[in-house]
Amino acid sequence: MLVETAGLTKVFGDVRAVDDLTVKIPDGAIGLVGPNGAGKTTFLRLLLSLLQPTAGTAKVLGRDIGDGVPVRERIGYMPEHDCLVPDMTGVGLVSYMGRISGLDRDTAMSRSHDVLQFVGVEEERYRKIAEYSTGMKQKIKLAQSMVHDPQLYIFDEPTTGLDPRGRTEMLDLVRTIAKSPGRNVILSSHLLPDVETICKYVVILDGGHQIAAGELSQLLTGSTDRLRIDVRGDQAAFARLLKEAGFEADAGPTGLHVTRKPGLESAVFDTAKALGAEVRYMGKEIRSLEELFLELVARTEKRGA
Amino acid sequence: MSISLPTYSRLELPLLGRRERVRAIIATGLRREFRRPAAIVVTVLGAAFTTITSIVLLIFAQILIPGQAADLTFFALPASNGLVLFFVSLMAAVIGAGLIADDMQSMAFTLYMSRPITQTDYLLAKAAILAPLVAMVTIVPLLLTALVAALLGRVSWAIAVEAMGISLVIGGLLTAFYTAVTLFLSSLTRRKGIAAAGVFAVNFGLTVPAGVLAGRIGNPSILYLSPWDDYVAVASVAFGATPTAIDWLAALAVLLGVTVLAALVTYLRMRAVEVITG
Repeated sequence: MLVETAGLTKVFGDVRAVDDLTVKIPDGAIGLVGPNGAGKTTFLRLLLSLLQPTAGTAKVLGRDIGDGVPVRERIGYMPEHDCLVPDMTGVGLVSYMGRISGLDRDTAMSRSHDVLQFVGVEEERYRKIAEYSTGMKQKIKLAQSMVHDPQLYIFDEPTTGLDPRGRTEMLDLVRTIAKSPGRNVILSSHLLPDVETICKYVVILDGGHQIAAGELSQLLTGSTDRLRIDVRGDQAAFARLLKEAGFEADAGPTGLHVTRKPGLESAVFDTAKALGAEVRYMGKEIRSLEELFLELVARTEKRGA
Repeated sequence: MSISLPTYSRLELPLLGRRERVRAIIATGLRREFRRPAAIVVTVLGAAFTTITSIVLLIFAQILIPGQAADLTFFALPASNGLVLFFVSLMAAVIGAGLIADDMQSMAFTLYMSRPITQTDYLLAKAAILAPLVAMVTIVPLLLTALVAALLGRVSWAIAVEAMGISLVIGGLLTAFYTAVTLFLSSLTRRKGIAAAGVFAVNFGLTVPAGVLAGRIGNPSILYLSPWDDYVAVASVAFGATPTAIDWLAALAVLLGVTVLAALVTYLRMRAVEVITG
């Protein structure tokens, strides 16, 4: 297991940023998704021992997070916010971080040149970080997380502040790392398409709780007993008429979800005809991560209310 | 973008231990300081002025201070050179105030703490960056003065060596005091200007009023509040010179106590620091 937690909790005053979180995250490329304030960054910082848990335990790569130093030796962390030393050069900072991670001077320097070339900071590596654009700073943050070649990469919102081209470049880099043998990635983002293109497994957090976790393909496929129907027209009325016809139907942000029963197809078209609505899709419950996420969050909110 | 770079492959080297990691922080920290014009100017001027004035005192001691014997007691004079107070404050403010505050401000502290080091390693490394620079003003001039005194034949080599030994101890005490206090102040704020102001407040804000008040009300006990007067009291006795108005043992206790307390509080603060933002 890449990460295993049991009842992990972090409380800041009255706020339970991570609340009794019990997860088992397998090796590979893992997406950690959730809205802003879901507890993603707090969870990652607990894994790195940058924060001390209020309660519960966690293991990263088989080691208790309380061990601290041996755990962090095997992790490369790319924080969300700007955290670079402005008066250092790109190559200076990356090799410095390599040395603090335990590389000798020569290895740290040669590795930093390698990783800077990998991330696409080439001529600019000798300029001071204060002069870098946001995109270049993000790449330096990525490079410093790679320099000691860790087993686990933790990327916290790596595309924050990037323009579309920069975002594509960054995602390509993260994808390349994720595909490399022996490396694991936890990608935290609220930009769900980013996660969808890179990760095979996702953990969805909201309000400090895990609301879903699993293989992305399974989560997105949904139940085979149900159909999804996209309607252009009055969706609520459509669901009501189907219910009156004896079908189980839920209208949600991701369309109508109806339990399969004999006669469903004709009932759907009869209803569409009666309402003057247009059926745009009727088939398997395949969702995008965004749709799944909205559905889960709506369900959680409904339960909370 | 060269994402298919062939040289990027898995690294199979064993990592060096924590001592090497701390050394890397110290070496890089010192290198960075020696690239900053302000730090260079303050260090060079501080070391030069305190050394030169001490040697001038040595050469003209018989004229400037009639009756000053050419023995160990002479070295109490350069040890209590007021320029040491001025430059040590300046160095602590220019170099030391930003050591932790800058990392907090730029959020680089997050990067340090996400690496395989502890808060204690970080703090020790920062202290090891500041201490040798402060020692350029607190120890080096005293050692050079003793050396020059012996070379000029003003004192015997035996006395010079003894003076060097005492200089190392009392200079070390002053270095430890300023290192601990400055890092404590730097850990309290993200703005190094505030920490620098704190250094001056501790020095001149205590030394000058304590001196004035002690004279006005005729109670020398107030001088214990002044770190500089405490240091001078200890240095005078260490070199066998006439004791100052305050008891050297109590003054030593104050200096050591504040040093240990500042170091302990900074250590506890750093251990308790949780990287919440950044």
